[in-house]
Amino acid sequence: MSKIMEWIDARLPVTELIKSQATEYPTPKNLNYWWNFGSLALMVLIIMIATGLFLAMHYKPDALLAFNSVEHIMRDVNYGWLLRYMHANGATFFFIAVYIHILRGMYYGSYRAPREILWWIGIVIFFMLMGTAFMGYVLPWGQMSYWGAAVITNLMSAIPVVGEDLVVWIWGGFSVADPTLNRFFVLHFLLPLLVVGVVVVHLWALHAVHSNNPVGIDVHEGKDTLPFHPYFTIKDLYGMGVFLIIYCYFVFFAPNAFLEADNYIPADPMKTPAHIVPEWYFLPFYAILRSIDFLGAFSKLAGVIAMVASIAILFILPFLDRSPVRSFRYRPLSKQLFWLFVVNAIILGWVGYNPPDASLFHGAIPLILIGRTCTAIYFGYFVLLWLITALNIEKPRPVPKSL
Amino acid sequence: MRLIKTIMAVCFAVGMVPAVLHASSGTPIPPAQKWSQDGIFGSLDKAAAKRGAQVAVEVCMACHSISLVKFDQLRQLGFTEAEVKSLAEVQGRTKTDRMNGALDETSAKDAFGVVPPDLSLITKARKGYEDYTYAILNGYLSDAERELVNKVMADGSVSDQEALELQSALLINTHDKDHVKATLERLIGGASFNKYFPGNFLAMPQPLNNGQVSYTDGTENSLKQLSHDVVTFLSWAAEPTVAERKSLGFWVLGYLFILTVLLYAVKRRIWAAVH
Repeated sequence: MSKIMEWIDARLPVTELIKSQATEYPTPKNLNYWWNFGSLALMVLIIMIATGLFLAMHYKPDALLAFNSVEHIMRDVNYGWLLRYMHANGATFFFIAVYIHILRGMYYGSYRAPREILWWIGIVIFFMLMGTAFMGYVLPWGQMSYWGAAVITNLMSAIPVVGEDLVVWIWGGFSVADPTLNRFFVLHFLLPLLVVGVVVVHLWALHAVHSNNPVGIDVHEGKDTLPFHPYFTIKDLYGMGVFLIIYCYFVFFAPNAFLEADNYIPADPMKTPAHIVPEWYFLPFYAILRSIDFLGAFSKLAGVIAMVASIAILFILPFLDRSPVRSFRYRPLSKQLFWLFVVNAIILGWVGYNPPDASLFHGAIPLILIGRTCTAIYFGYFVLLWLITALNIEKPRPVPKSL
Repeated sequence: MRLIKTIMAVCFAVGMVPAVLHASSGTPIPPAQKWSQDGIFGSLDKAAAKRGAQVAVEVCMACHSISLVKFDQLRQLGFTEAEVKSLAEVQGRTKTDRMNGALDETSAKDAFGVVPPDLSLITKARKGYEDYTYAILNGYLSDAERELVNKVMADGSVSDQEALELQSALLINTHDKDHVKATLERLIGGASFNKYFPGNFLAMPQPLNNGQVSYTDGTENSLKQLSHDVVTFLSWAAEPTVAERKSLGFWVLGYLFILTVLLYAVKRRIWAAVH
């Protein structure tokens, strides 16, 4: 056995790679359970690709056949219901993992130097996931698939000059129809494979600068670190067990909890649903889009810009945060801002879920006002974080010199 | 701990919100019914589903299709092959046919103005699920409620007292008197009114009545029983694999639970030296 490995290592240093990048890879010993969500997201990505591959063998990307082919998977394909529910709920749990992963990075300052490129690649992955999830939701070709696709693709028409032509080009016609479904299927199949490639670069960037940690200081290798195996392989595996229990509870006992009832009605271009809602993981951004409604003819374009900016602003986060300390654990003001940001995002999601003309207390507080306020708070987080750190308003507490 | 407190506070706040949220649609929420298949330990009442299949074939399928199910699949509910054959013959079909209704699209459009929706997924495709379909079947006006409508409209105006009575009987919003009057006029004119249908008026006249189907097993055939049975059947038709899903789920969760406990023990053991 060792002879064979010697022969291989002389030609391709596999053992050295596994040692330096996996088993003996130095990892800060104080990582808490919030650091599990990167490996959890990777696990869900693998589940999604595996189940998606088999679903694609039975699915038909044709406007006349798509809806019934999904029901064929649910009823006639052996364990087809399991594949489909794992895939549909996998999307939900992918975003749960990714959101916690991003928020963990924001809280412990993982975006700060020297991890900017690692952070940027992560945001690119997030954008790709959103595109993949959006197109995947169109494939069952139910009412919400169809009208969700119509609403979101229509946003492109807000782009000046080329917008209208761009929408026709994306649709492959003059409305969402068979050509749209067909290309969305192809792209939904392709994008996750590209995501895998970008994830590899994400890991490469991580291994170049090494993990941040809850204290947020640079660690001394050896004194502050442990080899990845067995310490973090077992910790990741335990986290996967817990995560899988929650995920499988939904797959087996509440598989439609995150799905809209309307999507079990076949797509009907002649009949608009009373209330079109995107999947839960897009709701905060959907609320931001809708809350910009006071600019007359420019509202639509401004809404789209605000929605894209709400995620793209993460790109400049490394430059907005000027604090000498990375981790919010030692930054009282930043910590409060952070939790305000999280609660605010949840409220935005709730606003996005409800009809735009809804109100609280019988008309006393229109939801649109709440939406606008929360949108302001959302962007306010980034402005205030910059202000309190750039102007030294925040006085960080003392940070330990080592772990 | 502060994190947990914050999460709890947010959950509480989010939970309170529906109580004060006012959305534009005024359709009442269908009352919750008891379904044997509900919950993680629930399993389908096969006898009820079997009776419901009879209701579906004899009544619903005069207009509706259940096209994702084949007659032959009804044997999963306990029908014999001969029974399946005779059920299929009710609709002039054979046992290997899909459960398509008797009414073709063109004559449906002529008669009702719309094609009756396929019922294969109806209990999954409406908010309220089984409760909604049950509420629709029971949401038409009773004779007493009809009399109330006639009484109110006898003098051509709606008094405040009458508005209150209508509100509790028809579950409609009576703030706008003109709208109430228009609704009642349309109702008296013969349009189908349903308490639980969004917008109240639908193309389907009351499909199911007391005593409409005779059961061979001697179960009473009140409207409540008939509709409960047929909704149980439709719930099965919407996802015949639910029983398989739940039973596999117990094995998977049981396995994962033991595995996770073991992984946690190993984790403690490995990290013991570090802590």
